Amino acid sequence: MIKTASVTLIGLILYGILILPFTTYLHNKPFVEKLGYVPSVPAFKTIAADQKELVAASLVLKVLIYFGGLVEKSESQLAIPPDYMSMSRLLHGAVKLDPYNMDAYYFAQSFLTWDVKQYKLANDLLDYGMKYRTWDWCLPFFAGFNSAFFLKDYAAAAGYYQRAGELSGSDLSKLLAGRYMQESGQTELAIGYLSAMVKGEHNPALKKNYQIRLTAFQEAHRIEVARDHYRESRGAIPAMIGQLVSGGFLSPPPRDPYGGEFYLEGDGKVATTSKYAFAKVKNKSLKNAGDVNERH
Amino acid sequence: MTTIIGITLKGIFRDRVFQGIMVTACAFVLIPGLATLSMRQVTELSLTLTLSLISFIMLMLSVFLGGTSLWKDIERRYTFSVLGLPLSRQGYLLGRFGGTALFLLLVAVVLGIAAGAVVAFTASVHPPDRPIVWGTVALCILFDVLKYILLIAVAFLISTVSTSFFLPVFGTIATFLAGGVTQQVYEYIHSPASKNLSPIMKQLATGLYYLLPNFSAFDLKVNAIYGLPVPANGLFLTVAYFVVYVGLLLSFSAAIFSRREMR
Amino acid sequence: MNVIDITGLCKQFTGKRMTKVDALKGIDLKIAQGEIFGFLGPNGAGKSTTIKCLMGLIRPTAGTAAIMGEQIGSVASRAKIGFLPENPAFYDYLTAEEYLRFVGKTFKMPEALLTRRADETLKQLELWDARKRPMRGYSKGMVQRVGLAQTMIHDPDLYILDEPMSGLDPIGRALVKDIILDLKKRGKSVFFSTHITDDVEKVCDRVGVIVKGQLEALDSVENIVRQGIEGYMVQTRLSRGNHEALGGFAVARTNETFIEYFVPVAGFNEFMALAGQHSVEVTLVETKRKDLESFFLEIVGKGK
Repeated sequence: MIKTASVTLIGLILYGILILPFTTYLHNKPFVEKLGYVPSVPAFKTIAADQKELVAASLVLKVLIYFGGLVEKSESQLAIPPDYMSMSRLLHGAVKLDPYNMDAYYFAQSFLTWDVKQYKLANDLLDYGMKYRTWDWCLPFFAGFNSAFFLKDYAAAAGYYQRAGELSGSDLSKLLAGRYMQESGQTELAIGYLSAMVKGEHNPALKKNYQIRLTAFQEAHRIEVARDHYRESRGAIPAMIGQLVSGGFLSPPPRDPYGGEFYLEGDGKVATTSKYAFAKVKNKSLKNAGDVNERH
Repeated sequence: MTTIIGITLKGIFRDRVFQGIMVTACAFVLIPGLATLSMRQVTELSLTLTLSLISFIMLMLSVFLGGTSLWKDIERRYTFSVLGLPLSRQGYLLGRFGGTALFLLLVAVVLGIAAGAVVAFTASVHPPDRPIVWGTVALCILFDVLKYILLIAVAFLISTVSTSFFLPVFGTIATFLAGGVTQQVYEYIHSPASKNLSPIMKQLATGLYYLLPNFSAFDLKVNAIYGLPVPANGLFLTVAYFVVYVGLLLSFSAAIFSRREMR
Repeated sequence: MNVIDITGLCKQFTGKRMTKVDALKGIDLKIAQGEIFGFLGPNGAGKSTTIKCLMGLIRPTAGTAAIMGEQIGSVASRAKIGFLPENPAFYDYLTAEEYLRFVGKTFKMPEALLTRRADETLKQLELWDARKRPMRGYSKGMVQRVGLAQTMIHDPDLYILDEPMSGLDPIGRALVKDIILDLKKRGKSVFFSTHITDDVEKVCDRVGVIVKGQLEALDSVENIVRQGIEGYMVQTRLSRGNHEALGGFAVARTNETFIEYFVPVAGFNEFMALAGQHSVEVTLVETKRKDLESFFLEIVGKGK
């Protein structure tokens, strides 16, 4: 009896000693390892049996939790560049298992465009989703924005917005389609898009992400309005933002939430040294993200 | 046969299988919380999770109840006493099968109601973009039940030839996995992508496609989760397929079992 | 009509590596209505194999058999009998009462009769107090008694019992013997297997001995007992008469009062005549015979 009790006690002590390094080890595992490798989709489909939707959802959640963890760690700043390639691969795997999974499209859209600049990849994924989610106005709305804002393909954008407008029944997309289909409307287009995203977002990490971006664009828009006032009253575009502030056109002074400095380009276009991103993402690792799509 | 069904149900309940399921079903409580992890489809995710949990529980039931029912009776020598009674072997087998299938249906109904409550709760907190089509959800669970009843019939067929516990259990799991992919394999070998495959392989795969049960037709999860319409024609064909396939499996099982020697 | 009619029953098992084992080598046996038949044989002789064939649990390789005119293997052949398997096991999650009700239902007993008979048999086999408990908690003897109860619930005309006494304590054995004798009184037929000769001698009308798949002996208990008489033990008073005249007979035992002679059957009359002539006082005559046990051992020995 005493023997059993002491063995149990030793076991408990060993567990206590072991559990901390064990948890730390798992916690600090490389991110690629954490996200896991998605086996080939046909193999995955076989193993998933009749639980394809569940497996797809778990893949999406895995990416989400991973991303959410990164954002939270650095207090809404992405100090460590996320492994976007693995994220993209997992999400692509997810929609092959469950082509209706909206989370996958939505999340892929959120980082493939601004952060990774894989606009074509993003739109291909959205096109794939549109074949299944035939009722969903979000997908053409995203694709339309990508086409207009990033790809400058206004014809394609108009098509997408048309479809989004028909599906949603609201004027939002139609409005966007009419007003911003030109180079000069870019900032307002982004604000319109981001406002819609912030409003519909429940996930705090993503909402914060959108909010920061929206603030940045709202600041940029404020500068644009001030710049236009300046031109009206002085008959010339200012060379520096400081002129707008000192001239009383812009108050308070603009602040880039990404930590950069706003400046005016030669033609008066508003830009920022942060390029609307916290950290520079190594593009090298992201080239491969596109391969995933082709492989399927 | 009805007495055997009654005895079978009693046995399953007395073995506390139902209580075990109810404990597992406590996981339903976690689902609304888990589903809020989703960004754009909280209700859809809660439906996915509930349907998956039900499916999983039924898979376990059909593999372990279906695969061990006959084995246990033979192993524990119950067959000597029961088959010495004026019961036909066929009646005994069908009674065992019927009792197990009925229990599965009962579990599905109870879990289905629980799932409905969970999903309705989630939907009230996070209204979905598209309304939940409750009829499709019920249909999805029903077809899941049919699928697992078919699996039970497979387990029984394997049990009639096997003397061990492992063959029925692992044979049933293997059949379940194979039956889930036969459609994909069939589509693959009939697509241009498979032109490098040897004709013998293709014929073998086609043969297996017709031989093995096809479970993909019973899977209405995607329809239930995203409220997609279900083709009535397809449902009718699937039910007919179920009836014929289960009928064949049971008649083979009965034929083998009535010839089996109870040594 | 014979309740059991076995003709040329053969059973060949295929063992490991395709070896053939002949478990039954042509059994011919007829059991008449109202007969108590003891089926004797050493372990592995084919008793259970014969019974399993009768119950349709295994299929004979050759030969036929019928129970009450119904070919074995059919549901009808099992409809009018009570069967107790060897070392029986019953659904242990059921109570004895539930199991008896289940058995009664398979025999299509009407509800009221079933309830009455279940109560009667449970009381008769002293299972009344345990009737509401699941059988997984029963002792071996209790399970054996449930086994007997389930053969009796529908009051069949024929009982086929495989080792009904095994697993029972002496009180249980006595109970079973009483039950069988009671069945006999009521004109029922009983076919039971055993390897204990004592059981047979007390209750059976007829005995069959099976050794290595063959029926080596088949006779009434009465005949066996009669044939088994070897001679007599005759006790005489030492103090009376002339014992020298009896010198031709073997003295089995002697003390200060008596001399005991062993007298073969053939010499009995001569002995009695001589004793009369020489005034020897015969105080006791006792039959000396082989018991069934030695009869059985002899047959088994021959078969080897």
